[in-house]
Amino acid sequence: MGVISVEQTDRLYWLGRYTERVYTTMKLYFRTYDTMIEAGEDYRRFCQALEIPDIYASSEDFICRYSFDETDVNSLMSNLKRAYDNAVVLREEIGTEALSYIQLAVYAMQKAAKSQGPLIEFQKVLDNLMAFNGICDDQILSENVRNLLKVGKRVERIDLYARLHESRDNLNREICRLTGRIDRCSLKYRRKALDSLNRLVKEEELDYCGLIRQIEQIL
Amino acid sequence: MYEKDLYACEGEINEQLARYGVKFGIYKNNTFREQLFPFDVIPRIITKKEFQMLEAGLIQRVDALNLYLKDIYGEKQIIRDGIVPEDFVYTSSGYLAQCEGICPPGGVYSHISGIDLVKGKDGTWYILEDNLRVPSGASYPMIARELCRRCSPATYQKNHLEDNRNYAKLLKETMDGVSAGGINVILTPGRYNAAYFEHSYLAEQTGAKLVNGSELKVSGDCLYYEDYSGRKEKVGAVYRRISDEYLDPLNFNPESLIGIPHVFDVYRKGNVALLNAPGNGAADDKGIYYFVPKMIRYYLDQEPILQNAPTCLPFYEKDKQFVLEHFDRLVLKDVAEAGGYGVVFADRMTAEEKERFLALLEQEPRRFIAQEVIDFEDLDIMEQGEPVPRKADLRAFVLSGKETKVWKSGLTRFSRNPDSFIVNSSQGGGFKDTWVLSQ
Repeated sequence: MGVISVEQTDRLYWLGRYTERVYTTMKLYFRTYDTMIEAGEDYRRFCQALEIPDIYASSEDFICRYSFDETDVNSLMSNLKRAYDNAVVLREEIGTEALSYIQLAVYAMQKAAKSQGPLIEFQKVLDNLMAFNGICDDQILSENVRNLLKVGKRVERIDLYARLHESRDNLNREICRLTGRIDRCSLKYRRKALDSLNRLVKEEELDYCGLIRQIEQIL
Repeated sequence: MYEKDLYACEGEINEQLARYGVKFGIYKNNTFREQLFPFDVIPRIITKKEFQMLEAGLIQRVDALNLYLKDIYGEKQIIRDGIVPEDFVYTSSGYLAQCEGICPPGGVYSHISGIDLVKGKDGTWYILEDNLRVPSGASYPMIARELCRRCSPATYQKNHLEDNRNYAKLLKETMDGVSAGGINVILTPGRYNAAYFEHSYLAEQTGAKLVNGSELKVSGDCLYYEDYSGRKEKVGAVYRRISDEYLDPLNFNPESLIGIPHVFDVYRKGNVALLNAPGNGAADDKGIYYFVPKMIRYYLDQEPILQNAPTCLPFYEKDKQFVLEHFDRLVLKDVAEAGGYGVVFADRMTAEEKERFLALLEQEPRRFIAQEVIDFEDLDIMEQGEPVPRKADLRAFVLSGKETKVWKSGLTRFSRNPDSFIVNSSQGGGFKDTWVLSQ
């Protein structure tokens, strides 16, 4: 395992988290948006689940600001920009090719913001994020670097799944993937929190709050 | 081989450059933004013969400048012999008393030199300035060449060019050549620096770690790169892209938050190489520029191969008189400024500006140089599908380690404004690839 500084370790971990946050919330957002076509105010449930303050005036306002408003720290655009902020300082670790997919995702998001049909344009953002994941797997030689990114992704996904009350199968799969990965990178973590996650996901009644608490405490 | 014309690829190449984040940062009105660096597909072409002359002249110049730095921080023979006036050396803002008596490995102070040249309409090349501190720009033609070759392979099959994509290899050899043993790092002030793309790209291409000051620690007279669990790797060479005053808060500016405490002490003991060496500003001051031809004669006993632009130093009474008599045809440069700032064309000043400037010149003659305006060559750039002429310069990169080498390419910058001589990217300029023909 090559030496990676504390700063770079943090950036890799957070790059993993932010790319995953945009990817997963965007996919879930499709679902919410679809429901809102008929049901109107359904965005409030989405905000509650993700602990996003409901600062939006209407579902139209939510669609626009939650998607593209850079001054809204919870927006997809803000999260994507944070992914970019981490990626741009990691060029020598992840490579110019991998970085270019984050850049392309930002361009696709900016293009979507100007579109009359932004949701369909989101597909290009998702495509670029998937391409980023693929190229990281394919081209990053350092196992530690790859694992730091993946641990970030897994932690973020478990957190989102727990908040959005995803199925036990989905949560179990992600917790297993995290358990298999976390010892293979240079991050220090709380073993007790990982054990609790593995225990909680097997309990008869899923304690989503408990899962959120443990995943928040793992690092 | 695909025959697509290079000139037809401008849009695609610029799109690709945007994709790869080929940008520079700019601060305006207290706001930072990243801006794409516009690329023009028409290359500057330098023949093999012309480049051989440039190469010899650049090596001669950089070797003399390195000898000058070694001398002024050591024996000071050039001052004793009256070639460069003493107060001219010590009043230079780039002179650092802390560097007195320090001789880096091989006596090389300027490992990466960026020498700016222009070609006059009569075909004569003139040196405009020497950049011996943290010259930037090599990464842009490197990546542009890579993309141009992808777009129009036939162009590169038909034309016989020197491959400029070896810059990273030359840079790595330079770092390895002076390393005190350990890994190579590129020290950046951070992503809000104007040249951050270059820092990160060169780190990737040379296999060096890109670091900021807080990632390096001095311990027991050595410099280390440290990880999460405290594991350390010794650093042998630091290609630092931050200026002298911010390098080490304990030896230079105490307010610096981006430097490495005590790194200068490690350097002084010879346990790490700093590229370029601190204190180089004493030789690339626009005032010292005037003396470079004299240095070449003094240290190398040779006639300069490349000429300076005709320059006056108002510091000398005779030159000041000349400046006053021929003011309107001169360009005045503040020696402390860079990046195209502090440059004024006398014929474009209002009467009031002139009066103010002359008063300042009287008060601080050391602060300015005056040059004849060189009517330098225009190069064609593509604008809306049509070639139009624009002013352009060339930044040549000279790398000095065990030997001095000139990179067979360079950064050609051009002004996008038809009425301007200022080519700097920070002032809206673009860039071209520089082809050096191999046959």
